[in-house]
Amino acid sequence: MPTRHTPSHRLLVRLLVAAQVLYVLGVAGAGYATTAYGQHIWLATAPVELHSLQYESFVRLRYTAAEAPLTAWRGASPPQRRQAVYVLLNTGPDSLATVAGVYAKTLKPNPGQAVLRGWVTEVYNHTLGLRYNLERYYVPGDSPLRLGKTSPAVRVRVSIAPWGQARIERVELLKKPTAAR
Amino acid sequence: MSRKFLETESPAWVAEGLISEAQRARLLARYPSDAVQAVGLLPLLGSILVGLSALSVVAANWQSLPTQLRLGLLLGSLMSAYAGGEYFLRRGNRRVGHGLIGLGLVLFGASIILTSQLYQLVGYDISGLLAWVVVGVLLSYLYNSQTLILLPILIGAAVQTYCTQALGIFSYATMGLVALGSGYRWWRRPDTLMASVLAVGLLWQAALWVALSHSKITWFFIPAMLIYAAGDWHRDRAAGRALQGPPLVAAYLFALGLALFGETDQYAGLLRPPVLAYLGALAALFALSVAGKRQQGRLASLPDWLLLLPGFYLPGGLPLAIATLVVLYAHAGSVLARAHRSGEAEQLTLGTVLFIIATMVAYFKLTWAFLDKSLFFLIGGVLLLSLSWYLRRRNASRLAAGVASAAGNAPTPTPASPPSPPEPLA
Repeated sequence: MPTRHTPSHRLLVRLLVAAQVLYVLGVAGAGYATTAYGQHIWLATAPVELHSLQYESFVRLRYTAAEAPLTAWRGASPPQRRQAVYVLLNTGPDSLATVAGVYAKTLKPNPGQAVLRGWVTEVYNHTLGLRYNLERYYVPGDSPLRLGKTSPAVRVRVSIAPWGQARIERVELLKKPTAAR
Repeated sequence: MSRKFLETESPAWVAEGLISEAQRARLLARYPSDAVQAVGLLPLLGSILVGLSALSVVAANWQSLPTQLRLGLLLGSLMSAYAGGEYFLRRGNRRVGHGLIGLGLVLFGASIILTSQLYQLVGYDISGLLAWVVVGVLLSYLYNSQTLILLPILIGAAVQTYCTQALGIFSYATMGLVALGSGYRWWRRPDTLMASVLAVGLLWQAALWVALSHSKITWFFIPAMLIYAAGDWHRDRAAGRALQGPPLVAAYLFALGLALFGETDQYAGLLRPPVLAYLGALAALFALSVAGKRQQGRLASLPDWLLLLPGFYLPGGLPLAIATLVVLYAHAGSVLARAHRSGEAEQLTLGTVLFIIATMVAYFKLTWAFLDKSLFFLIGGVLLLSLSWYLRRRNASRLAAGVASAAGNAPTPTPASPPSPPEPLA
C-alpha cells in the first residue's frame, strides 16, 4: 500500500481531492441546470407553520398533492408502503398542478402534464399518502417567509429536470404579507 | 506501564536488588513525564476554540450568505483540510495529518449535503452519499491510518441507515463497497480493532436489510456467518477471531432468546424461513468455514457452529426450550474445554460466564413454575454460588499448574517458594 510520500502517491491524493471538488461543483451545476432547462409547475400546500424556523433553517411543506385517491392508482399490483411511484400531474401555464394518476412505472407526459417522482408513505382505505422529498424548504435569508407572519398561505414553484430531478425554485405568498409589527 | 507506576514501584526494586540505582535512573529517563505532553496539547485546544468560533459565525449566518460564497467556503475548507493534512504528514506529524485528512473527508460529505440543500435538490438519488463512501474507501488505501480505515465503515453504516429509513431502499452498492473495499483493506493489513468495527458495521447493514425486506430475522445469520467464515480463512489468528466476535455474539444472543422465549410457538413461527433455502445456504457457509478452519489448522473452534443449529424448526414448547438449553450447555462446555487445553485465562473466564448463564436460564426456565418463590431464590442462589466456587477453584488450579510447568521448563532454577495462585476469576 503506498503510504510513502512518493510523487505518485501525491498525484493520487491530488486527483482524489480534485475529483471531490468537481463532484461538489457538479451537484451545484445540476441545481442550476434543473432551473434553467426544467419544466416549471406550481404546487398548492396547506398554510405553512413557521414555528420551526426559530430552531431550524427549514419549514415543512404539506402539499395538497401529497394525498391522492386510491382510484388514481395505475399499477398492476396494489400499492405498498415505501414503494417508489411516478405521479402524473395536470398543469396549466399559471395554475396549480393536480394529480391525474399515480403510476408504478415511468411514463411520458403529454403537453400540459408533468411527472414528479414520489414515494408511498401510507396506504389508507380510500387514499394514498405520498411523499416527494420536496417537503423540506430551506428558507433563504431574503425570503418573505422570514418576515414572521403566522401560517401564511403559499404556493410552491417546482422545476423538474429532463432527467427527473426536481427542486423547489421558490415559495410565494398568495396574499401580500402584512407588515410585521 | 505508566510513568507513575514506575516512580512508585522502582525504589522497591532497587531495595530488593532486582535493578541497580543507575538502571532505575535510565528506566525513568526512558519514559519522560506526562506533564511535557500536556503542555503540547494547549496549542491544539486553542486552535479548536478558534475553529469553533469561526464555525459558529458561519453557521449563524449560513442562510443569508450569497450562494457563491457558501460554495466557496465549503470547497475552500475542504481543500485546505486536505492540504493541511498533507503538510503535517510531510513534516512527520502523523496524528494531526491523518486527523486533518479525516476532517477533509467529513467536509466532503457535508459539502454534498449542504450543496444539495443550497439548491433545494431532492435527496432521492443517493449518488452523492455513495460518492462519499467511495472517496472514504479510496482514502483508506492511500494512507496507513486507523482513523481513515474506520471512517468509511462508519460512513457506510450511516448512509445505509439514511437510505433504509428515509428513502425506503437498501443500497447494495454501499454494502458492497464497505464489504469489498474496507474488507480487502483489512485482509491485506489485518488489525483487531478494525476487524471488530468492520464486522459490527456490516452486521448493522445486514440487520437494516432484514428489517426493510420484512424477511424472517433468521436470514440475518446468512450474511453474519459469511463474515464469520471470512475470519476462518484469514492467516492472522487474532484478526480473524476479532472479525468473528460480533457474529458469534449475535448468534449467542439469538440462541439465548430462543431458550428464554422459544416455548411460545408464535415466536418460533416468526423465525422459520423456507427449510431448503435456509438450510442449504447455512450448509454452504458451514462447508466454507470448515474448509477455512482446516486450512489454517483451527478446527478446535468448530463448536462455535453449535449456536447456529436451527432448533427453531422443532415444534415450539418445552422440547424447543430444552433442546436450546442443551445446545447452550454444549457450547459453554466446548469453550471451557478449549480454554483448559490452551490455558488462556480470558477464555476460561468467558467459558465460566457462559456456563453460569446457561445454568441460570435453565434453572429459571425449568423450576419457576414448580417451586415456592422464596425456596426458588434460595436454591438458585446456592446453586450459583457453589457453581462459581467450583469453577473458580478448577480454573485457579489449572492456571497454577500451567504456571508451574512453565517455571519447571525455565533454564534457571526457581526459588523454592510456590508460584502465587493467579487472581481468581470473576
